[in-house]
Amino acid sequence: MMPGRQTRCWLAITACLFAAATRAAPPSGEQLYDIACLSCHSLGDAVDHRVGPPLGGLLNRRAATVKNYRYSEALSASGWSWTLPTLLAWLSDPDTAIPNNAMNYVNPLTAEETQRLGQWLLLQP
Amino acid sequence: MAYTPSRRGLLQAAIATSFAGVGSGCDITTTGRKIVVVGAGLSGLNAALVLERWGFEVEVIEAKERVGGRVWTLDHMPGSPEGGGNVMGANYGRVIHTAHELSVPLRNPPRALPSDYAVGGERILRQHWATSAANPLPEAWRSTPPGRLIAKLNADNPMLSTRAWHEANLMAADQPADEGLKALGFPDAAIRLINANNSYGNNLSETSLMALYRVMGEFGRLSGPALAVKEAVAGNMRLPEAMAARLRRPVALGEPVISINTLSSGVRATLASGQTVEADAAILALPIPALRQIILDLPPSQMAVLDDVDYHKIVQLHCVVDEPFWEATGWGGSWWTDGLLGRVFTRPIPGSTRYNMTIWINGDDCDPLNMLDDAACTDAILQALWQLMPGAKDVTSVGQLVRWSNDPFAGGSWALWRPGQAGQAHGAIRAAAGRLFFAGEHTAEAYRGMEAAMESGERAALEVMRSLA
Repeated sequence: MMPGRQTRCWLAITACLFAAATRAAPPSGEQLYDIACLSCHSLGDAVDHRVGPPLGGLLNRRAATVKNYRYSEALSASGWSWTLPTLLAWLSDPDTAIPNNAMNYVNPLTAEETQRLGQWLLLQP
Repeated sequence: MAYTPSRRGLLQAAIATSFAGVGSGCDITTTGRKIVVVGAGLSGLNAALVLERWGFEVEVIEAKERVGGRVWTLDHMPGSPEGGGNVMGANYGRVIHTAHELSVPLRNPPRALPSDYAVGGERILRQHWATSAANPLPEAWRSTPPGRLIAKLNADNPMLSTRAWHEANLMAADQPADEGLKALGFPDAAIRLINANNSYGNNLSETSLMALYRVMGEFGRLSGPALAVKEAVAGNMRLPEAMAARLRRPVALGEPVISINTLSSGVRATLASGQTVEADAAILALPIPALRQIILDLPPSQMAVLDDVDYHKIVQLHCVVDEPFWEATGWGGSWWTDGLLGRVFTRPIPGSTRYNMTIWINGDDCDPLNMLDDAACTDAILQALWQLMPGAKDVTSVGQLVRWSNDPFAGGSWALWRPGQAGQAHGAIRAAAGRLFFAGEHTAEAYRGMEAAMESGERAALEVMRSLA
């Protein structure tokens, strides 16, 4: 049954408000991963065609320990484990965090976005 | 495209997208979610794909009759050589992943044939370079092939990362490359040879030493057989074509933009055809010489910086060779010269007995050639080729002359930085101005070439999303 005119109107108004709220939201962690990470890093744990290692199960993982991925000597020798502070330090400025790493990357995110991305990434299985 | 958003992410995108066409009084196309992208090269297409993926309506406008910009496969020639965008670096993550997702197969390119040398008018077999009387280098330098002299910069490269290339402290130490190389102990003969085929400046006196350090550092990081470059099997232009085909709205081809005006709530692009396109923001994803032809509302200081960026000059003559005429005489098939021809790259056409031969001329040596019409330019290059390789004349045919500086929608092959220029200019040319955002390889930070274009598209899309949030 087609909704009545009044119902359609309310639906439109409600949806407008919802859409506006959606638009007003800053890029989510998931969106930031999509824009800034996914070309080089899959989620999950399998190495694929991408030039960077997969990022699933990152929380408390020792750096440079995904099997079958060839890491830089610098990252392998870093002794780092991935927690929110270490991940944020890495994402904010990889070269300062671990010099001579192989990730050729300049972070285009704001500090807030980096934090949002880091929190989201650490929750991915 | 490459990524499957979560259910929540999809819901957000679906709601935003569905509302664009509902006409419910909540007209998203004019209140915050329509983006016009000017330029259908890799940067514009990548920005468009990102924005579409997250619910934006995107209209891409391209001046040429094809997509790809400076990625241009010469499909009409046997072997489909690349007129631009010929190298996919091993670390070009965005390029490689996008090709994978869009089913554009890649391969390691056939190797170019070995290169001999023509220096000071003398032809020198590659195995005789170190001992040849025509080798102008002093003793300690003689064994280094001329094309590898510049790599000696890596012996003392101050740029620990290729990401640091325009930082203020390094820019403060920047200087003209010819002076810098001399101060570093490069002999005059080596500097002359480097200048003969410098891909990173039109002449060494206007080339940033730090830009050379950047490039060499990048090559140093990427050396080794495990990191071989790639190309698309059917031509690199298949990648931008596949990206364009993935967009919901077809790219508008053959539509030069003549002006973009800032409105109270967005922008209005006026096309040469007289049409106008209104949007909430514009991404200008085109090389600076093409950008200069568009009337824009930009601060005078930003315009001044844009006016001051130089572009690299390249002339290429693409030929097909029917027989390996060089084999009988012991030459390798490719050449490095300090004369008009620059470099000659010859490589076999897979599945064929023929070869692609590309004469590749760089920098200010292109100036007199760019003044000629196509026929005269081609003839000037061929006369030099016949002089170097008389045996080529009967088995070589011309397929395409490529002159990027003469292309009004390119204006050169890539942006160059004069000594010290990048410190201020790089930030200024990419700075968003109201609802105008900028993409293109010249705006990238981490990469050069095709990956730089992809990187810049991501960044511009993010800036738009952030701005319209």
